[in-house]
Amino acid sequence: MRGHRDLQWACLAAVACALVAALVPLGMVRLIAGLPLTLFLPGYAIVAAAFGSRELAPPKRTTLSFAVSLMVLALGSFVLNIFPFGLETASWAVLLPLVVIAACRGAALRRERPQRARAGRPALPRPATGSLVLGALAAAIALGALALSERPLPAENAKGFTALWMLPTDKREDVVAIGLDSNQHEPRSYRLRVSLGKDQSKTYRVELDPGEERVYEVDVPPKPVGRTHVVASLYKEGEPQKLYRRVTSWLPRQMTFP
Amino acid sequence: MQARLESPPVIALLAAAGLFLCSLANALSRETRDPSQLIYWLGVLLIAVPIFLRLTSTQPSYRERLGLVLLLGLALYGVKIVHDAPLFTLSDEYIHAFNVQQIERFDHLYHFNPAISTSPYYPGLEGATSALTMLTGASTYLCGTILVGAARLVQMAALFFLFARLSGSARGAGLGVAVYTGTSNFLFWGAQFSYESFSLPLVCVVLMAFVEREEAPPRLRGAWAVPIVLGILAITITHHLSSYALAIIFVALSVLYWVMKVEKPNPWPFAVLAVGSAAAWLLIAAESTTGYLFPVLENAIKAIYETAFGDTEARQLFGSPSDTAEAVAGTPIGARAIALLAIAVLGVISLIGLRQVWRRERRKPLVIIFCAFTVAFFAALTLRFAPAAWETGNRAGGYFFIGLSFVAIYGTARLLRRGPHLMRRRLLLTGALAVVLVGGAISGWSWDLQLARPLKASAGGRDIFSEPLALAEFAKQRLDGSRFAGPEADARILLFPGGQVAYGGQGPDIEDIVDEPVLRDWQLPLLERNHLPYLIADRRLLSEDTLRGQYFSVKDQYGNELRPQGVVHKFSEIPVGRVWQGGRIVLFNLQDRP
Repeated sequence: MRGHRDLQWACLAAVACALVAALVPLGMVRLIAGLPLTLFLPGYAIVAAAFGSRELAPPKRTTLSFAVSLMVLALGSFVLNIFPFGLETASWAVLLPLVVIAACRGAALRRERPQRARAGRPALPRPATGSLVLGALAAAIALGALALSERPLPAENAKGFTALWMLPTDKREDVVAIGLDSNQHEPRSYRLRVSLGKDQSKTYRVELDPGEERVYEVDVPPKPVGRTHVVASLYKEGEPQKLYRRVTSWLPRQMTFP
Repeated sequence: MQARLESPPVIALLAAAGLFLCSLANALSRETRDPSQLIYWLGVLLIAVPIFLRLTSTQPSYRERLGLVLLLGLALYGVKIVHDAPLFTLSDEYIHAFNVQQIERFDHLYHFNPAISTSPYYPGLEGATSALTMLTGASTYLCGTILVGAARLVQMAALFFLFARLSGSARGAGLGVAVYTGTSNFLFWGAQFSYESFSLPLVCVVLMAFVEREEAPPRLRGAWAVPIVLGILAITITHHLSSYALAIIFVALSVLYWVMKVEKPNPWPFAVLAVGSAAAWLLIAAESTTGYLFPVLENAIKAIYETAFGDTEARQLFGSPSDTAEAVAGTPIGARAIALLAIAVLGVISLIGLRQVWRRERRKPLVIIFCAFTVAFFAALTLRFAPAAWETGNRAGGYFFIGLSFVAIYGTARLLRRGPHLMRRRLLLTGALAVVLVGGAISGWSWDLQLARPLKASAGGRDIFSEPLALAEFAKQRLDGSRFAGPEADARILLFPGGQVAYGGQGPDIEDIVDEPVLRDWQLPLLERNHLPYLIADRRLLSEDTLRGQYFSVKDQYGNELRPQGVVHKFSEIPVGRVWQGGRIVLFNLQDRP
């Protein structure tokens, strides 16, 4: 590949991006490295191999590079699936640079002669300052639009609720976790009553802020015969007669269908 | 002044401002402030109209036109993103996101999907997304959005090159792509994280490469065959209908080349490859596709027959496609008028275009296919009157519209030919393109869903979730790896982001189990046979609606009507354990009993 600087750069970039994507734990850095490795470099190398040094206008070359990269990703998953290790970070990090290097090697062989440093390469037109400012402003507004869309907003007319749940904490099923999960707009107060069989019960006063979850662990004493019926009932503070939520379980659970 | 207003940086700025308006309208809607949709449509027009106007001009260079169509594609894709970021909310997105999670979990393809069992056998999109998620460490949502966005840009560029090469006019190509944005699925359905959003752009690339190959000198034909072959293979493993459509196109081209005695090499090898790979994939890997696709097509044909002969009442246009009996906000009369006007505009442009194309380009086989597509598009519109066929017609329209957009180039060229009042005619065409875009968006997506609804909200500095999303988050944290049966909307959100195996719908017949207020003899055995211990009883009438059933109920809006109490009580009375209750939704564990 000596003399073909674009192909050398493509190979180096593929290897470097793969190493960064596979080894660096920082999300943003991996994203920056992973995108060219997946979306551009494989296609660029394959298009270079297919067309050799023959002329292909840059816009079409770029479009084909992206398009063929998408095709390589789809077909690459099919190829990796054949192997026992399958689709993993490591297998992708090896496959994609391999595709790039192999295709670049093919491109170098097909090109008639090494490209010399192009002294007369036409320079890209330099954008005017005004255009740059407008472009930056457009990008900032578009980012603002995306940021606004991702932000959860208060939705006063959406009907809030508090969820109640109950699950055994482990396989022995002698302790249950009872959780309250508030999806209300305002802080709320509740009374939680947990009854264990016919004789025992416990009551908790609970105050929940919006978005808050509270979990209580309750011991379930073993019963010599049969199962313990555990019932958790939730009442709104000030409405002790009106059941708001109820969850139930018979422990230890049967694990068979009725 | 006019030149400044039409300069690319100003157009980009206006597009960004339009996108912000769309985001603002969605934000107000998520805040349940019931904003006017005018803000949103103004945003869409602010994105598109300056680009349309510039594309009608003779001044822009080839590259500027390409840049403009890319900007148009990107900004309109942004409209979909600001509608529902950072969560997938369209019905098919849950299914494909679940498939990505399955690949990440098992390191292999073809793992089971309870919603569409054939979808894991077309893993092109999910496999590609898994490459991004594994290498970047980013979320499925972000990687899927980037991937579909890249495919969308590739599609815009490919269509531009295809139209430019076939028509010989960059101006016409830009206008053709502008017309294409008026296809009814462009704004939302075709931009979702779904296999067709990935495969249709590849179809455009293959067609573009084919046309370039036809015009290239013989020494370059082999080079252009590379993207064609790779494209055919990638499409085959990505989406069934796209691979069949491409196979049909290549077969038709081969026949036309033979009949018309075209002097260039007959593309039969591509036809053989496209037909062979699609058939082989269907027989070897994706046999379940027949059971998935053929009933849909059979129902569509039956519906056409029954509607035509008056056995079934014709579907009301712009009627709610909601699966429930609950009425949702209908499309206003003004919006309906715009959608119908868009069809009329397309009809006029196509009619003029067909005449011109037939005169000038009928020696080109692909052009003849595009003309046939144009006629087929209008024929497919009649399917919208048949209740079980409207979706088939709507989906087929996405392919036919490629041909129509090409034919429209010649219609628009007639309007923009040299002569007096050119500026007026440019403005008229810009207006017509705006009508086509907005009309397409109205006819392709329900009026009540054009703006976002609240799925996640903030309260007291924390996030709060809608009831189905709260259940999905609970299941993800506490019941990972369990199997559920429930109404479709709940089942989909349990797939993703819940990450659970959740069945809904009719295969097996979960729909009747969760919708009927009475427990019947066959229901519990069916759940046992399918190993579904967790059952979601949901009183909300919208719980079967996969586009509307996942959001918060909002006061004074639809989404508040309930099923009979029996849909919950019938399980309480068995009795079985109640694991989770959020209000309208109760999660039962059928294996937890006295």
